[in-house]
Amino acid sequence: MDAKRNMAKEPQPREGGTRQMEGMDLESLTECARGHDGEALGEIYRRYVRRVFGLCRYILESRESAEDATSEVFLKLQRSIESYDRSIPFPRWLLRVAGNQCIDALRRRQRGRRAIVEVEDGAAVIEAPSSEPSPLSAVISKEERAKVRDAIARLPDNYRVPLVLRYYSELSYDEIAQQLNLERNYVAALIFRAKQELRRRLPHRSK
Amino acid sequence: MECYSEQTCALAVDGELATDEAQRLRDHLTTCQRCRALVEALRAENRVLSESLNELPEEAASPAGFSPLRWSWGWGDLAILVAVLTLGSIISGWFNELDIPAALEWFNPFSVSGRTNLIFHFFYYFAHGGTAMLADYAAVVGWICLLMLLGGSALLLGRRGRPHYPGLRLLIVLLALSSPSFALERRHGDFITVAANETVDDTLLAAANTVRVDGVVNGDLLTFGRTVEVRGVVRGDLISFAQRTEVRGTVEGHIYTVSHTLDLEGQLGHSIYGVLQSLHIDDRGRVGDGIVAAVGDVSLEGEVKRSVDILTSGSADVSGSIGRDLTMVGRSLTLTNTARVGGNLSARVRQLKEVHIADGATIGGKRDIQLRVRENHFRRPRFYFHQAVWLAGAILVGWLGMLLFPGFFQATTQLVGSGWRSLGLGVGVLAGMPVAMVVIAITLVGLPLSLMLLALYFAAIYLAKIWVGAFLGRILLKPSGATKGDWLLGLLVGLLILTVVGFIPYLGGLVRLGVVCLGLGAFAWQLYEASRPVMTA
Repeated sequence: MDAKRNMAKEPQPREGGTRQMEGMDLESLTECARGHDGEALGEIYRRYVRRVFGLCRYILESRESAEDATSEVFLKLQRSIESYDRSIPFPRWLLRVAGNQCIDALRRRQRGRRAIVEVEDGAAVIEAPSSEPSPLSAVISKEERAKVRDAIARLPDNYRVPLVLRYYSELSYDEIAQQLNLERNYVAALIFRAKQELRRRLPHRSK
Repeated sequence: MECYSEQTCALAVDGELATDEAQRLRDHLTTCQRCRALVEALRAENRVLSESLNELPEEAASPAGFSPLRWSWGWGDLAILVAVLTLGSIISGWFNELDIPAALEWFNPFSVSGRTNLIFHFFYYFAHGGTAMLADYAAVVGWICLLMLLGGSALLLGRRGRPHYPGLRLLIVLLALSSPSFALERRHGDFITVAANETVDDTLLAAANTVRVDGVVNGDLLTFGRTVEVRGVVRGDLISFAQRTEVRGTVEGHIYTVSHTLDLEGQLGHSIYGVLQSLHIDDRGRVGDGIVAAVGDVSLEGEVKRSVDILTSGSADVSGSIGRDLTMVGRSLTLTNTARVGGNLSARVRQLKEVHIADGATIGGKRDIQLRVRENHFRRPRFYFHQAVWLAGAILVGWLGMLLFPGFFQATTQLVGSGWRSLGLGVGVLAGMPVAMVVIAITLVGLPLSLMLLALYFAAIYLAKIWVGAFLGRILLKPSGATKGDWLLGLLVGLLILTVVGFIPYLGGLVRLGVVCLGLGAFAWQLYEASRPVMTA
């Protein structure tokens, strides 16, 4: 399956930009797409649907809502691709759009606008001087990675969403703060806490 | 030098530390073993997180149901629409060929009587119903919403292992508990009787082959049966879905009925609203108010205190007395010598010779008898002129809308593409808005708001076809750009198609209704979307 392979090799927006992905191609692809070329849009869809769906799936609680959000993202892409200004790599831009879509969906579900990321007890910076080995820090097997994903999925929204945006979408703290409408410091605290919570939930590896 | 906190190290690993501080940390790391280990551990942790997340879960690896068609659903649904239209046309032709027993004719949506019944029932129901009918209507809509909610919740819960929506569950439980609190007695069986010495205090819901009331029902009587006979007393309304409904006793409220025949030999306190094949008011029968009915054949031998509005596909025979006006549209009208109409008589018939008014018949008001001329409008040039004006008007409105609210119009057009969601929402809005407006209008303050809503409602119904037309045009033309010109061209093509399809017998009406619902749904959704902050990348 060509498409699948493509998706699997799809670049990490942060690290390589478009290098692995026949850089020229993506550029001309987005250029065509900006002209509302249906085929170019289709190709973009084919290449990125899995990545976008992954993000939606991590943020939203059900497969159905993730599918809906993914469809919405690509629908929006059709009409707003002109607003992509090439200042950042396209995959990253797309994931930002997708992140917004998911956060919106999450908010809609929780009605209250502030419901998503509520930092309890003031979100003071927590000092947790710990040098004990984290269950997260070892090289881990496929099964263990699945366990990590599972643990992430069980995190409360306010930990999970920034964590996923950081380590899946590879957004900066500032970008996450902008998306969640929060202070950058809060985002940092949330991500930090999310990791602590994960360590607590994941069993320590016996030596 | 003092060691750095874990959080600072985490920030550094995430590349989020300010440049100078990052430099200081790096300097520190060269000398501090502990911090170096911590940073290494945090780095490894990040790697694990990234790797774990980027290795998508199984379900994401095969995003089933994802194909580019998912977001241009148009073709599939268009194919379904075409198939339904074709099938419908074939079936309707086949139905017309069939020799359907007269007794079932009223049930056949493709027959003249069946069709007129179906169409005009709703019109008359609302036009003449007054507040009581609206209350009923609200109740029906409420129940439908409740059922949809319950069904939807059941589906939702069925699909989830964990109780994600405790509030929803609570709501369902509450609703389930609240429904039996209605004062309702339910009976079903083959033969249900309320014996002569029996009194039912609640509303009685009876479903049976034969329902017979010899005693007293203090509430309403709601029946589903082949034969419904009221010989005793029903103090509320009689709502009957039956092949034959017969009232020999007394119904103090109204009669709402969808029946093959209704015979009234007794007393009725208020009105009859019905869709019937045959309506017969016996010379002993008496109707306290009026009659509004779509009927195959009607014969009035008894007394009706107020007006009679009848749409009939057959004949109307009047030998009794009508207190006020008699209005009928149908094939033939006969008034015998004993007939008496207190008010005006207005009749619309196909041929004048079908109107027989005996010399002895009394008509208090004016006689207005008109011919219903049914000319094939496709042959009249004026028809095409009207269509052209209509089309030009719609294009103009679309163009204005595009000029004034480009984003809104394009987004709404796009939302038509969410198919079933728009359709479902549209049905809800179409049915729910009138109720909401009445509810709002009841309060004095709400009246202007209600009027504004009414204007918006009609505007949206008009605009619905513009959005649907533009959407249809867009999926057909697949324009290379999304400029206003493309949108308008799409609109023209889409509207042309919708107009032509709208003239297909029987199904055209259905298509038009669907278009209105789709457009309304998309509009409502877009209003909702627009009320939220705009999403940016």
